[in-house]
Amino acid sequence: MAPVDYALRRLIKLPLLLLAVSLLVFSLSRVGGSPIGIYINHEMTPAEVAEVAERYGLDEPLHRQYLAWLGGVLQGDLGWSGVSVAPVADVLPQKLMASLELSLFAFAIVIVLGVGIGTYAGARQNRLADHISRVISIVGSSLPIFWFAFVLLIVFYLILPIAPIGRSDPDIYNSISHPTGLYTVDALLNLNLLAFRDAISHLLLPAVVLGFEGMATIARVMRSSMVDEFHEDYVDMARAKGVPEAAVVKRHVRRNALVPTVTVIGVAFGLMLQGSVIVELIFQWPGVGRWMADAVLRGDQATMMAFILVAAVIFLLVNLIVDIAYAYLDRRVELGT
Amino acid sequence: MGSAARGTRNHWTWATAVVVGVTLVASACTGGGRDTGSDDEETQGGQGQSGPSVMVSQWGGEPETLDPARAEAGNYGDNAIIQVYEFLVDIGPDGPEPVPMLATDVPTQENGLVSEDGLTYTFPIREGVTFHDGTDLTAEDVEFSWDRVIEMDLPEGQASTLTDIISDTRVVDDYTFEVTLDRPAGWFLSSVVNSTPAAIVSMDAVEANGGVVPGEPNEFMDTNVVGTGPYELVSWDRNEQMEFDLFEDYWGEPASNPVRVEVATETGTVLLGIRSGEFDLIEPQPQYVQRLSDDSEICIDQSDFLLEPLHLAFNLNIPEDRLPDSDTIPADFFFDPRVRQAFNLAFDYDAYFDALGGLAAKATYLPPGLLGWSEDAPKYEQDLAQAEQLFRDTGWWDEGFTLSVLVESGSPTFVAIGLVLKDSLEALNPNFRVNVVQVSETQFDRAHGTTPFEYAAWIKNGDPFRDPHFLMSTYFHPDGEWGERLGFRNGYQDSDRIAELIDEAGESTDVEERERLYGEVMELIHEDPMWIWAADERNVQIYRCEIENFVFNPAWTFVRWRFYSKP
Repeated sequence: MAPVDYALRRLIKLPLLLLAVSLLVFSLSRVGGSPIGIYINHEMTPAEVAEVAERYGLDEPLHRQYLAWLGGVLQGDLGWSGVSVAPVADVLPQKLMASLELSLFAFAIVIVLGVGIGTYAGARQNRLADHISRVISIVGSSLPIFWFAFVLLIVFYLILPIAPIGRSDPDIYNSISHPTGLYTVDALLNLNLLAFRDAISHLLLPAVVLGFEGMATIARVMRSSMVDEFHEDYVDMARAKGVPEAAVVKRHVRRNALVPTVTVIGVAFGLMLQGSVIVELIFQWPGVGRWMADAVLRGDQATMMAFILVAAVIFLLVNLIVDIAYAYLDRRVELGT
Repeated sequence: MGSAARGTRNHWTWATAVVVGVTLVASACTGGGRDTGSDDEETQGGQGQSGPSVMVSQWGGEPETLDPARAEAGNYGDNAIIQVYEFLVDIGPDGPEPVPMLATDVPTQENGLVSEDGLTYTFPIREGVTFHDGTDLTAEDVEFSWDRVIEMDLPEGQASTLTDIISDTRVVDDYTFEVTLDRPAGWFLSSVVNSTPAAIVSMDAVEANGGVVPGEPNEFMDTNVVGTGPYELVSWDRNEQMEFDLFEDYWGEPASNPVRVEVATETGTVLLGIRSGEFDLIEPQPQYVQRLSDDSEICIDQSDFLLEPLHLAFNLNIPEDRLPDSDTIPADFFFDPRVRQAFNLAFDYDAYFDALGGLAAKATYLPPGLLGWSEDAPKYEQDLAQAEQLFRDTGWWDEGFTLSVLVESGSPTFVAIGLVLKDSLEALNPNFRVNVVQVSETQFDRAHGTTPFEYAAWIKNGDPFRDPHFLMSTYFHPDGEWGERLGFRNGYQDSDRIAELIDEAGESTDVEERERLYGEVMELIHEDPMWIWAADERNVQIYRCEIENFVFNPAWTFVRWRFYSKP
């Protein structure tokens, strides 16, 4: 099946999947009790609590609450965020773009360094480069993310004050327009080098922390795949034909080694979303991870439900891209089978 | 393309990638550093502006609303409101007596601004005061500000502070405002006029943005500020930061530095932030003291006490069969004062003070700094022998019991009370079991707001009342807020006498008479305790030592930026 057709078929099934997700999310959120807790305080009388419940429609039967919520979602109303005291739909895009920027930057580190290190090490099996890459893989997989984050902060923020926390210097951030919500891109669009430097300086540490584990995993998988591919007959054939080693590695071995690695890349992206909560909390990054942590601790169900829905969409889309990429890399794979 | 050409292209590709990567890293290393808001040109948005340094204050949360009609007492909304709004009278740094603010005089009977019967207060309004929206302050704005709170009467706000005492408000002329109370109240100026709901807002701004709708919040006022204070709100990025700039047309002594509030919840980040100079002021937590005390650039002030006693509440209104399954106590478990006395005597107060790192002291029912406080006031000390005897006398010693105590999980100060009680009782008698049930803030609020309360006890801190009347009414009056909900009349040996004394002390304007009456109340409630009054928490303030003129009055609840300056 052609990739376009395949993508369309998957996209058509998306709403049904999301409906199932929405029902599951709503049901699970209500297991924890009514979301009214975020709107009341401990000094309210029962009558006052009832008044607040009526104001937010929380005195209705559950199924009506679900339909009201679903109806709102379909019209772009994701509910009222108790944490942000604003419509979720107003706050979510801003937070999402902040997290997306961090994730993309981290993802770039994961891909470039992970694939690069894995390729380099795989082509030099059992030599120094290979041993170093194994150490990196083990360290990256076992290093607690919060510890790594604080070590980097102590070194680069406290001792050598060259890296800031947060997303930006507010004065610089507010001096440019933000058409995309991605600070780096907006800085370039505004042709503001100062803002660009500010964006990069704030991105670097949290992106390194966020991407480190994924980079180590990709490097390990890529290295193993490379080693396996080097044992294939076509490699001997290519060498026998006089193809330069560099070409053998880049055009043949690496391409085939990427096939299993791409699957892991998709999983690594999902794991990065999880790690983003800790990274955002520690580095004061104003993304969805930090927002969600606050929402969970404070029982803000509207925010949690909206985020889970959006995360489900992102995850399904990312996996769709991974599947198509898989078919592109390995011509033997047929989409739709 | 030939192999040589491909090789050349690959080299260029690698070279470009290396250059881009080095550029990015170099940008990160040279374009970073701390955002201290100094008058460095580059951190002023590249516009070449110089000006006072920005003072950065860390908060662990942020306001839910900036509307004085809606803000909950003691929350971040309160904290923001006192920086940007003003009141008719204020409590100065040297407090606790009120000083003039938007009124030119503090009403007293001596200066004739309080009527002889103590019911009518006249406030001369200061002329030449401008709101943040450019309009001028008049008595009409004052009346509007108070009346809107009363009319809106939002359950999440503090409207009852006004509605419980005010009978009428009147504009006498453009610069004279009159209030009539429904009964005399010695606490009116300190606890009502200087309270969040009595903050003065611009009538023109409110009426242009949604007006006043009974029972409905005003969205504009939730996120905007139209006060008269030395700061005005510039921007608010939810869950991230708030920026306050100096109000150019402020009528009084201007503040020195603009302020940026950074929301940071992670302990490690907060500690690194204050050490590095990113934060100039941080929200004090007892556990920070030990970790920052070795830093000579950080000042830690522990001289006063907070007006928020840490306590555990006994529930005398337990619903039948609604307690957790593990609980074995009957509904009338706490009716007998001897049981409540035994709990107070069993509690290991020293262990609790240790848990707070020495940042607490023995609590009397009225905290230090409040009218009526006395070092000699009755308070409980641990006495295990007496506790045992009381449990034996009441029959619980052999039978034993299991009960659950509800507490917010995110407050180690509160959780420690539950754990110390658990250790104290279970060490006294293995037949005693205490389950400390830790829940999130919203779950706690929901359970707390449920009547009847479905646990044997809860743990919290008191609200920061500036006058003993409110503390006594709320926490000890048999028909007060907690008295009704927790069923104090089921347990007090002389409910009517306690009620009479508290009411009389509240109405009296004679300071000595009030002190005498509160003393008598404390003797009674000591014998008939409805709480474990675990400790008075020390007021800890943590700031960078370069901050000048740091001063704090516990009656403020929060720091007041206007008094501080940062070079």
